[in-house]
Amino acid sequence: MPRLRYVVSEAWSVARSSPRQAAAAITLISLALYVPGLLALVSHNLGRLAVTEAEPTAVVLTLEAQADARALAARLATDVRIKTVRIVGSDAALERFRRAYPDLGAALADLKEAPFPPSVEVVLKPGAAPRTATEIAAAARLWPGVDSAESEEEFSRRFRDAIALVRNAGLFLGAVLTLAAILSVASAVRLALDLHRDEVGIMRLMGATESAIRAPFWLYATAEGFIGGGLALGLLYATYRFATHWLARDPHPVLAVLWVGFLSVPTALLLPAAGAAAGLVGSLLSLGKKQTRRVTRIA
Amino acid sequence: MIQLFGVSKKYGTFRDALVDVSFRIDPGEFVFLTGPSGAGKSTLLRLLFLEEPPSAGQIIVNGRNIGVLPQSQIPYLRRTMGVVFQDFKLIGRKTVFENIAFVQNVLGLARVEQKRRAYHVLKRVGLHHLMNAYPDELSGGEQQRVAIARAIVNEPTVLLADEPTGNLDPVLAEEIMRLFVEFNIRGTTVVVATHDVEMIRRMGKRTLTLERGHLHDPDRARESAPIVREAPFLPLS
Repeated sequence: MPRLRYVVSEAWSVARSSPRQAAAAITLISLALYVPGLLALVSHNLGRLAVTEAEPTAVVLTLEAQADARALAARLATDVRIKTVRIVGSDAALERFRRAYPDLGAALADLKEAPFPPSVEVVLKPGAAPRTATEIAAAARLWPGVDSAESEEEFSRRFRDAIALVRNAGLFLGAVLTLAAILSVASAVRLALDLHRDEVGIMRLMGATESAIRAPFWLYATAEGFIGGGLALGLLYATYRFATHWLARDPHPVLAVLWVGFLSVPTALLLPAAGAAAGLVGSLLSLGKKQTRRVTRIA
Repeated sequence: MIQLFGVSKKYGTFRDALVDVSFRIDPGEFVFLTGPSGAGKSTLLRLLFLEEPPSAGQIIVNGRNIGVLPQSQIPYLRRTMGVVFQDFKLIGRKTVFENIAFVQNVLGLARVEQKRRAYHVLKRVGLHHLMNAYPDELSGGEQQRVAIARAIVNEPTVLLADEPTGNLDPVLAEEIMRLFVEFNIRGTTVVVATHDVEMIRRMGKRTLTLERGHLHDPDRARESAPIVREAPFLPLS
């Protein structure tokens, strides 16, 4: 294998010889990864709202402050279609919110009274008939002490579908844009190779192996992709900081949910890794053609 | 040793660059390859250096049938040969030292050793004081001497030169030829393609003459028994 120092110095020399193409490829990669990164961030934050329990809540009864939660829970428990009834007090609701949104939870610390009313959550037995939750919610609305009763079934399903849609859109856009980035890197490498065609020819004549000739181009493209991915990550973080700063000045109940937290470190590091992979694939595509040399026919 | 057995090279269907060429060059020989333009001199050197395969026949270099050499082994064989081109083929963005040392760099040779070898060969061609110069800062003769230094830095057993003095004035050409003779005296087989008949006459070395792809070599007849098996060839360590 060629020496690392040689590969690095040659890759740097390749990058310097076509800076515009390198910059264009890096820009395209960063944009290609920024868009799916943004959608991943949004879906990540929306996902915090989604119920991830094995037994999803079907009905939520929001109670009046003076309501007897235990009595209402006992009344619900008599229904044979219901599996579990959970009482969620104001403090428990606040604690749950803080766990889901650590950044926003701190903002509620100074409140003198609990912002969340007590509630009762109902889990249905498996195989319960459709519209069971709607029927239970409709009946419970008439009970004393119940402020509101909502069936979560439909909303929960739609919400999960929306998150999946955002995620899938991110994956699709990511795939399309990454393909474009790969092709861009491939053309940048091809151009660089063209600029160095004479040198490559001389190196080959002097006894350089194919791996020694190609390795600097591989490194060049991989580094381009890595830098592009890093830029995308930086851009994404800047967007997140800008959004949180803007929302702090001008709060918005819905938009705030989309910018609650940033991606986890492993997820964030996927961007430069994906960029590097795209660069490597692009260079392999452009340098993949084997040199042809017909073997001499023995007369 | 270089041996050719019935070597032909065709470009397309009708153009015969070489026709049934056979000859033998012994180790340590100095041979001129001559003939008018288009006679096939450069084609013959390209075949010897594996830039192109022959259309027919066999070529043996240092006991190896290069026609059946695997592609992956070609770089290693090339490192045992030195080549000097008429247009020097130096890399403009590299210094004289880097031009000479880059194959050793690829091989992972220590930088100190690279410098030692480069200095040694540059001293032999009288350019050791220009190690850090770039090719475009050198005269034609100096560039050709750098190309020669690059060709001999791996201590090749065979040195091939394609019109090495074609772009030089007579004084520089004489100087370059003296270098080739010096390497030859040290044991390197030297093959120089040139159409400078006057120089060939002055040097008094063996001459192979090509005309329209046909060889006229009154001294040595074709070899009768071609080698058909390729000996295992190991990369240089």
